[in-house]
Amino acid sequence: MSGQQAHRAGPGWFTRVFAHGLSGWVTLITYIFMLAPIVVLIAFAFNAGRSTVVWTGFSLDWFEVVWNNRHIARALQVSLIVAVASAAISTATGALAAVAITRRQFLGRDALGAALAAPLVLPEIVLGVALLVFMSFMGVTLGYGTMIIGHVLVSLPFSTLIVRAAASSLDLQLENAAADLGANEWQTFRMVTLPQLMPAIFTAFILSATLSFDNLVMSTFTSGVGTTTLPLRIYSMLKLGITPEINALGTLLVVANVAILFLVMGRYLPLMLKTSRR
Amino acid sequence: MTKPKILLAASALALIIGGPAMAEDLRIFGWANEMPDQVIADFEKETGITVTFDTFDSNESMIAKLDAGATGYDLVNPSQYAVQILISRGTIAELDHAKIDTYDNIGPSFKQVSYDPGNKYSIPYVWGTTGLAYNKSCVDEPITSWKALFDEKYKGRIYMLDNMLAAYIAGLQVNGFSANTSDPAEVEKATETLIAQKPLLAGYNSTNFADLVSSGEACIVESWSSSVLQAIKDNPDVVYVLPEEGGTMWIDGYSILSDAPNPDAAYKFLTYILRPEVAAKTTELSQTATVVPASKALLPGDLANNSAVFPDEATIANADFILDLGDAMKFYQDGWTKVKAAQ
Amino acid sequence: MLAPSLLLLTLFVLVPLCVVAAYSFALRDSYGAVLPGFTLDNYRDLFQAAYLQVFVNSFKLAASTTAICLLIGYPVAYFIAFKAGRAAPALLLLLLIPFWINFLIRISAWVVLLGRGGLINQGAIGLGLIDVPVGMLGTYGATLVGMVYAFLPLTVFPIYAALTPIDPRLREAGADLGAGPAETFLRVTLPLSLPGVFAAALFVFVPSMGVFAIPVLLGGGKEIILGNLIVQLFLEFRNIPQGAAVSVLLLLISGVGILLYMRALRRVEAMK
Repeated sequence: MSGQQAHRAGPGWFTRVFAHGLSGWVTLITYIFMLAPIVVLIAFAFNAGRSTVVWTGFSLDWFEVVWNNRHIARALQVSLIVAVASAAISTATGALAAVAITRRQFLGRDALGAALAAPLVLPEIVLGVALLVFMSFMGVTLGYGTMIIGHVLVSLPFSTLIVRAAASSLDLQLENAAADLGANEWQTFRMVTLPQLMPAIFTAFILSATLSFDNLVMSTFTSGVGTTTLPLRIYSMLKLGITPEINALGTLLVVANVAILFLVMGRYLPLMLKTSRR
Repeated sequence: MTKPKILLAASALALIIGGPAMAEDLRIFGWANEMPDQVIADFEKETGITVTFDTFDSNESMIAKLDAGATGYDLVNPSQYAVQILISRGTIAELDHAKIDTYDNIGPSFKQVSYDPGNKYSIPYVWGTTGLAYNKSCVDEPITSWKALFDEKYKGRIYMLDNMLAAYIAGLQVNGFSANTSDPAEVEKATETLIAQKPLLAGYNSTNFADLVSSGEACIVESWSSSVLQAIKDNPDVVYVLPEEGGTMWIDGYSILSDAPNPDAAYKFLTYILRPEVAAKTTELSQTATVVPASKALLPGDLANNSAVFPDEATIANADFILDLGDAMKFYQDGWTKVKAAQ
Repeated sequence: MLAPSLLLLTLFVLVPLCVVAAYSFALRDSYGAVLPGFTLDNYRDLFQAAYLQVFVNSFKLAASTTAICLLIGYPVAYFIAFKAGRAAPALLLLLLIPFWINFLIRISAWVVLLGRGGLINQGAIGLGLIDVPVGMLGTYGATLVGMVYAFLPLTVFPIYAALTPIDPRLREAGADLGAGPAETFLRVTLPLSLPGVFAAALFVFVPSMGVFAIPVLLGGGKEIILGNLIVQLFLEFRNIPQGAAVSVLLLLISGVGILLYMRALRRVEAMK
């Protein structure tokens, strides 16, 4: 008994520091690191002056500037269309492939796994140039089509790997049981695998849409007439200097995002909680 | 979940198939922040034409995009040496001056530009210079020479433009060479100068350098005149000068693309922007000089007399004018690669 | 199940990449147009001292970014997965907020914070830690801060996704058999979460070599990495063949990385 006590004395500090303490502290500091710049950014959106450093008084003028900027409204519309469309395609394609790779034995399985992650190992800029050259060779007009495809390429490895990581740590017994009960592959997928993977798929969709909404490089190459996305527009705004107009725009994006997430969470929160409690 | 996804995929496909916009539209590919939104909005109101204005940030990336073809723009906004490249590629079409009623408003010197004599392919519109900007609060004497960018005194407070041709302007002229040289030995010397300068720099920047000098983060920056004038308006400590070695002058104009879907609207736009009152509005809102001399009388006095916007004749004559360097470009590129990789 | 991904990959990755590979052996004229022909010069040029320095810079930055992101990201993912309870979804979403603000606005927020007149300097002066503002922009540290800021959420998500499905009964079983928390962690939790860790490392290491805006806006563009080199070759020099050669080389380097990832993943899956 005393031997076991001694044995546990080592992990004792571990329990306190790591399992309970350290991860909590690291998380707290990380969230300050991630969110403090955002808080400062939002604060200065309400600055009266043109500075993003020196506070000169409260004002909503910069929001009016953003509101009246016709380019921003147009760019936002383009970005939303591209984000939703590319995330939907990317998640659907990626989830199907991830399940196939983790559940089936087939020739070239590893090769496909590698190929799906390939867009990760190529700098986006190379994919962008390659896509541009190819599209122009095919005589395709640059626009929504090329841009959505480009964004799918950027997010596909992420959605596949996320779903794959979840699928490979799933309990296979349920699926085997379904198969034993006579379910075919598709039925097993829909009734057993898919519901268990929903949190991962949801994560993949949100991450894909986020990556698309934030994308600058791929958009630079695949944008065509009238498909200037928000990041492209912001890039040209930055040349005029970092003014509170940029902060105001950032603030509006956060507000819009939080609003959307509340709508989405209303539907998915119970689902996510269910799995985290499992 | 899968059904809405399929629907979304289908609507995305519909978007892919759905072609470009309607005929009474004008599609412009231009420099970011040189054409004021107000001018475009006024043009739309007067003509009923809807303008789509997409932007680029360097002549090189603009050419790369147009090279890929099939972009569907009507008007493009190249600088002088880029006009030469686009002409050689057949990307831009010869202009019909008869369709531009206001063509005669262009100042005489801008009608005989060396890169496109007689404006056959491009209508010059705005022009400016490449020089340096400094913050009076952190230098103790007026800066008049490129040498300040190479001065140990300002170590860690200097930014160079993150642009090959721009950086070589300073590197060449500080050695007494022309900024438009194609002599490999001169380029080589400039490369050495720029490598030796690197430890003094806070960095290379062609995005927010005006902010950096205005906030005092930087004391001296190499700068395009148009980019720093807003900062000068807000902060009287910021000064823009063309260095005594000369600096350079640049012109950004408009050209109609060979495959423009709507050249008529493009001509209407060119006619519109060359009106003196429209040109004056452009100068007022973007702090950049236009090629329309008659517009100067319509400007507020302090702007018309601002030597950073309108340098005098002697200063302009002293400045270099960067043209397409053709094969000599390789010397610059090899040198710039060494500069950027140096420790 | 595989048709959509195969179609996408073949048509929009494989074929365009073949074009890039073909271009890496091509010639060009002085205006940047690609000429048909075959040359190895584009690869020979990669051995110039200047290019080698860029490779070293890239590897150094990618490795340090990945290491820091994993060291911070794992405890955060662990906390969210096992300690946060009902707050977990909210914490995950909070981590995404910076993303929705836009990459450039985020970086410009750091430009402002790290500036001589920025809050960090003001705060340090106010606390009496320093007398004069310290120049932080244009340093390697500033680049690293920006890189970690950009990539950290990408490490938390895959690790979290691998941690959550771990059956709590397995961890309880470990404890019941007399294993301490450290042993449970090292022998149950960590091995089961390794696929997520590998994915996270892959998500950070490879893209971070292709980044270009952060070294420019925060690091002053003085220590350029492969991303900057490719931008320069494709967009500034319009030297598509040379840019293609750099891209092919980067593809090969990254290919090694992904093979290591695959092997590690298979080993972990086999362990079960």
